[in-house]
Amino acid sequence: MTQTRIPVQFILNGKKTAVDILPEQSALQVIRDELGMKGTKEGCGIGECGACTIEVNGQAVNACLMFGVQLDGCRVMTVEGLAEDGRLHPVQEKFLAGHAVQCGFCTPGLLMSTHALLGENPEPDDHQIVQAISGNICRCTGYQQIFSSVRAACGQSDQGSVRENQDSKEERC
Amino acid sequence: MSNDRYHTVGKSILRRGAKERLTGNPIFCADMEPENALYLKAVRSRHPHAGILGIDVSSAMSVPGVVQVFTAKDIPGKNLMGIINKDQPLLAEDKVRSLADPVALVAARTPGAADLAAAAVSVDYDPLPAVFDPEEAMAQDAPQIHAKGNVMVQKKVCRGDVTAAFDKAHTIIEKTYRTSAIEHTYLEPDAGIGFPDEDGTLVIYASTQNPHYDHKEVVSLLGVEDHAVRIIQAATGGGFGSKLDMNVQGFIGLALYHLKQPVRYVYTREEAFLATAKRHPFVIHMKTGADETGRITAMQMKAVCNTGAYGSYGIAVASRAAVHATGPYAIDNVNLECTAVYTNHPFCGAMRGFGTPQMALAHESQMDLHARALNMDPLEIRVLNGVKKGTVTATGQVLTDSVGFQDCLTAVQPEYEKAMKGWLSEPTPAYIRRGVGIGGMWYGIGNTGVQNPSTARVAMDREGQVTLFTGCADIGQGSTTVLSQIAGEALGLDAMDIHVVVADTKYTTNAGATSASRQTYISGNAVKQAADKLADVLLTEAVNYLKIRKSDLRLENGRVFDSRHPEKQVAFSRLAPRILDKGGELSWQGYFDPETVPLHPDTGEGIPYSTYAFACHAACVEVDVLTGETSVCRVIAAHDVGKAIHPENVIGQICGGVAMGVGFALMEEFVPGETISMNDYHIPTAADMPCVIPIIVEASEPSGPFGAKGVGEPALIPTAPAIINAVTHALGKRIYALPASLERVLDASIASGHFNNCYQES
Repeated sequence: MTQTRIPVQFILNGKKTAVDILPEQSALQVIRDELGMKGTKEGCGIGECGACTIEVNGQAVNACLMFGVQLDGCRVMTVEGLAEDGRLHPVQEKFLAGHAVQCGFCTPGLLMSTHALLGENPEPDDHQIVQAISGNICRCTGYQQIFSSVRAACGQSDQGSVRENQDSKEERC
Repeated sequence: MSNDRYHTVGKSILRRGAKERLTGNPIFCADMEPENALYLKAVRSRHPHAGILGIDVSSAMSVPGVVQVFTAKDIPGKNLMGIINKDQPLLAEDKVRSLADPVALVAARTPGAADLAAAAVSVDYDPLPAVFDPEEAMAQDAPQIHAKGNVMVQKKVCRGDVTAAFDKAHTIIEKTYRTSAIEHTYLEPDAGIGFPDEDGTLVIYASTQNPHYDHKEVVSLLGVEDHAVRIIQAATGGGFGSKLDMNVQGFIGLALYHLKQPVRYVYTREEAFLATAKRHPFVIHMKTGADETGRITAMQMKAVCNTGAYGSYGIAVASRAAVHATGPYAIDNVNLECTAVYTNHPFCGAMRGFGTPQMALAHESQMDLHARALNMDPLEIRVLNGVKKGTVTATGQVLTDSVGFQDCLTAVQPEYEKAMKGWLSEPTPAYIRRGVGIGGMWYGIGNTGVQNPSTARVAMDREGQVTLFTGCADIGQGSTTVLSQIAGEALGLDAMDIHVVVADTKYTTNAGATSASRQTYISGNAVKQAADKLADVLLTEAVNYLKIRKSDLRLENGRVFDSRHPEKQVAFSRLAPRILDKGGELSWQGYFDPETVPLHPDTGEGIPYSTYAFACHAACVEVDVLTGETSVCRVIAAHDVGKAIHPENVIGQICGGVAMGVGFALMEEFVPGETISMNDYHIPTAADMPCVIPIIVEASEPSGPFGAKGVGEPALIPTAPAIINAVTHALGKRIYALPASLERVLDASIASGHFNNCYQES
């Protein structure tokens, strides 16, 4: 029995992409299984962990909660779209320099949440940064080096980041 | 020790493997898709305890796309697994002991077919009475889970005269503490792939913390020669102890053995929750006595921990719990006992700290209770009782070097006092109460009173290129980077100039488990020893070449030079062929096993660890007395790590440990049958995190590589007790069971009168 496939077209990382997909496939399955792009991770499949975060029309979304057909006509960006010609994107550079990567499974999702945040708001305050990344679970880092790296990516100081983080967090509590 | 004297040690170099992770390279098992791979799916028990009368796979075999359905009878070797005691079958034979027990394994061409077939396997069960509470399971008439009885192990540590000490004590505190089962919730669900190599070797890529153990276990399950199986650690998305067990490796091995074609098995999050180890829930009865100055003179501790259906690392948890029960305090008279009991709960195993975080809740609560009884400051009572050089521990070990606990207390003191004096007295809304709490800890590095060696190889080729071969699994903590730094330091090379071959049983030798905070200390020493041997061969040849005595020679930037006349130098690339051509050796093995003495079975006397890490956390919390919500605002975390080889990695461990400690303290509880997915189990997000102020204390360990010890597990251990002590400080009412959930905190708020006072005022 052959299931009916639906043609879907969208811009993926700046390139026109056409793919025939099954109606029940999630955007995550389309990206990982149909297009074979493995940078976007599956951590829970139910929208709790944020490992599958991609950018759709500039917004960070959980790809596991979105149907593949909803990508039709959209501008989609995955972690593979960040680096250009082997040169890391500034957000990736800051994560690298800020020691924000441990096991790395949450990293692509966090990069996409950060990228989407900066697209919407190039100068977010600390509260907005926390809001933007609080949908991305990380079990390794405790978020502090991630937080400092996002701050640095926003052009805020990453010098003595822990201290600065402390001060900013103090304002929140 | 100043980092200036080091070339790469003590510097936070960029991490190996970070770029691949940042760019989304397909390095995790779930990202690998060998051509024509079959999908595997385990059929799991639906009964917590039942006999198996028969298994019918005929309907499952008729599902289109199904290739094979395996049961226990298809296992050619020994159908038992377990790193300490072998009690867990890969596939159940005569009975199931928990809801998660696998009874059959499906291999199919599509994931859908695998799922359908798994549902179509018909198992004829004979349900048996089940028991979930470990104290009930110890009763004479309790259902027997294993033939050897339900008490898996009892570990004791006794010293001095507890009865006499309690008789003389000025104050006695006796309390019972309870902790919950915890799911590790590493971000990457367990996964593995396998394929037969050209020469027939069964190659398995796995998300694992211990590839060399996996290798032994798969070889034993399949009854094949060592060389017939090769395990390669894929990028591993966190482990925290759970990936020490065989999760998918055995299934992949079994299917590969029979089918000789590529297979893959990627757990859903739900299966990872159901089928992998949990942190042991503990019930701890602790009684301590103090003299009128606040010195703790006696401790009696009886703990029961629930290991669930199988042992996994339960024996290690029980012995570590007994040994660590005193906390980092000098107590002359102790009677400590921890019993690990089988139940029909999902099996519990290793999780960051092996019973020590549970013990820390008890001993740190007791310390605060004594301080309060004597009107002492919590920091002061810890300074008074804290271990120092010369302290004799409960097992009779004299602490001689690298005893940095007092330094950790001193390190948190300024921030602690600032919080106690300033922060506490700042105005807050009437419904918010603030509290400050302290938590201390000690943690023995490596396995408890047993051998746990590591090996490593450092080799130079004819061109002078150095390669480090290590079986040590980097699961995100950064061991590959740190071990490269250690090798680099010994050879005067940048860490990144060293090639690495990591955790591949074809090429690496056993480094033991990435657990027990042991890899920097134990594998670090093995790597250093191998690199030192190679360095010595290079120096010896350079003496011959430069005609300068060895003591004047130094290694730096890939050359040997005269420290008095740096222009006199020779490159490694020049020395290497000279050494080889003379029949010299450029490939060297290192070996290190910490010096321990096995613990006496009745008294626990012995030397469980050759060194200990120490830490102190201070937590500042705000409690909403009307809702029970606790916000952790700050955690000051001082850790004696001996030497921070890579300070930012140490900070990463500390901050990550604090996050896990916040979860343990306030929100995490795995309830079998109810906790199904991440929807039901919440771990801290960025919004739940306090500001963490990490403080690195370096009480150099003479037996450590460049003085280093470990930090992975210590990072987590003091956080929960510090938070609980802070909540108690805020409410004036103590919580004895973790997690201190909204309900428990609200109960404490009501019982302490704060709820009513605030409610009436508003």
